[in-house]
Amino acid sequence: MRVVIAEDDALLREGLSMLLASEGVEVAAAVDNAADLLDAMDGHAPDALLVDVRLPPGFRDEGLRAAVEARTRVPGLPVLVLSSYVEDSSAAELLQDGAGGVGYLLKQRVGKVGEFVEALRRVAAGGTVIDPEVIAQLLVRRRANDPLHRLTPREREVLGLMAEGRSNAGIAERLVISDGAVNKYIRNIFSKLDLPPSESGHRRVLAVLAYLKG
Amino acid sequence: MHLRPRLPASVRAVRHLVADLGMGLLALVMFSAVTFAAALAPAGVGLAVMPALASWTRRLASRQRRRVAAFLGTPAAERYQPIEGALPLRVRAVLSDPATYRDFVWLLVHGVAGTAAGYLALALPLFAVNALTVPLWWRAVPGTSLLGYPVDSWPSALSGIAVGLGYALLALVVPVPLARLSARLSGLLLRPPRQARLAVVNAARAAALEAHEQELKRIERDLHDETQNRLVGVLMNLGMLERSLAEAPEHTRRLAERAHEAASDALTHLRRVVRTIHPPVLTERGLDGAIAALAASSPVPCAVAVDDVPRLPAAVETAAYFAVAEALTNLAKHSGAGSAHVRLRTEGAVLVVEVEDDGRGGAQVRPGGGLAGIDRRVAAFSGRTMLTSPPGGPTVVRVEVPCGL
Repeated sequence: MRVVIAEDDALLREGLSMLLASEGVEVAAAVDNAADLLDAMDGHAPDALLVDVRLPPGFRDEGLRAAVEARTRVPGLPVLVLSSYVEDSSAAELLQDGAGGVGYLLKQRVGKVGEFVEALRRVAAGGTVIDPEVIAQLLVRRRANDPLHRLTPREREVLGLMAEGRSNAGIAERLVISDGAVNKYIRNIFSKLDLPPSESGHRRVLAVLAYLKG
Repeated sequence: MHLRPRLPASVRAVRHLVADLGMGLLALVMFSAVTFAAALAPAGVGLAVMPALASWTRRLASRQRRRVAAFLGTPAAERYQPIEGALPLRVRAVLSDPATYRDFVWLLVHGVAGTAAGYLALALPLFAVNALTVPLWWRAVPGTSLLGYPVDSWPSALSGIAVGLGYALLALVVPVPLARLSARLSGLLLRPPRQARLAVVNAARAAALEAHEQELKRIERDLHDETQNRLVGVLMNLGMLERSLAEAPEHTRRLAERAHEAASDALTHLRRVVRTIHPPVLTERGLDGAIAALAASSPVPCAVAVDDVPRLPAAVETAAYFAVAEALTNLAKHSGAGSAHVRLRTEGAVLVVEVEDDGRGGAQVRPGGGLAGIDRRVAAFSGRTMLTSPPGGPTVVRVEVPCGL
């Protein structure tokens, strides 16, 4: 797997490159601003982008903007966005095109090296990985007329784990239930959210998107 | 009577009064000049010299303002229309500025009162020295009225010591209140009118809020981009360490894990602190965007109306943001409302935030409760919070924050 990193903090940029290299991920380029990121993307044709939300010159959400721009240039290009803090609205914006291959994590998740690299691989494979903190924000603040209210608490829990990017097996392990039970919950979720049956990967993204948009 | 501690204060007061004497004499000269020019005004010459006279008067008045401020320890506020442009413009600027006339009154009052006070402050010690030394030299000029009465005998000469001590006491006691009185009189006469003073205060307030905003943003940036990144770096290294410790003894691995958890906790805590200082969403989306985001994630369906609110000082926006967040949380918990409205507008230089719900009403401000928290936060910016909540509703929380515009 080849990735391009955009991180303005030199120490973190080098740290990330080293970390990924030691985990067998090839770092095609590591840049410190949004414009260079888009250039590197065109030049290196990476499998995924790893982007810090705040980049120069404004240190606001240039990285997020660049990620969205990258995906309009190369639809479905996997992007994992890292941020010092998370906002559910940013996650929803990234997922807007419904194409999957999106990750949105707190920076500090890189500390759990195994999980972090796993999340990157899942995103590169077209999956969706949303930070548990975003999920927590969403659980606290839900609309009263939300279609998600039709879900049972257990189904919502399963949906939350899906949003975190866990596979069916991962969800089964986490909730200590059988794979069959997980499948049943997921089928219920899809039907309660009126998601028509199609290739299941795409439906997963749509379910998560519905979850994030509220 | 404790005379010793009074001495430095008296010396300071005498110094101030002596300078007042100098200023008073200058003021009298200026007063005469201005009166003379005014008398010549119909001839045109008088008008032509007015701008020059006015700027000299202003320099004199400014100097006095600074002296008074330094003496009383109060701020010196000053507001003049600039004297610029061609002569007719300068003349008009001088004549149309109310400060010109206030300064003119001060010239006369201080010319008389300041000169007199300064003279008294200088004269009292000299009188004291004069009276105290009469016994030494009265025989050189016998029978002269040296003490206000003729000194023609030793008893009358020795009475000079008593008179001198009296003057000395006065010289010590009188200058302090006299200097204060003189300073207050000048301060009062030279003070800009209330409107102008308020403008000065508002400008100072806006500048302070602006500085505060820069400071908040700097702190937030430093914490997110510097401190957090350093901690993330620590976490990353710990993570790699953990990976390489896979074969290490259980004990070692647990230590690394514990270090990892501690650093992770520190980051979570830091993130929470930064959020309460200045929520990043405000920087990214502005107040209306941030409020819209709050409304969008409110459990009770919530409509937002923002009437043309300009970009406000960050501290004010933060206060408004938390007020809305707290009000929405509160009404979701307690009101049983089916819908809510958030309205934002500016009324003059005041930001008005209203959060209304159609719940059961009867809400009260409880110490330590959410509404009390809002009030505490906005009170720091001289704002206020009002709660209207009749039984049966609707409940309206109204927050007003002066925004120093």
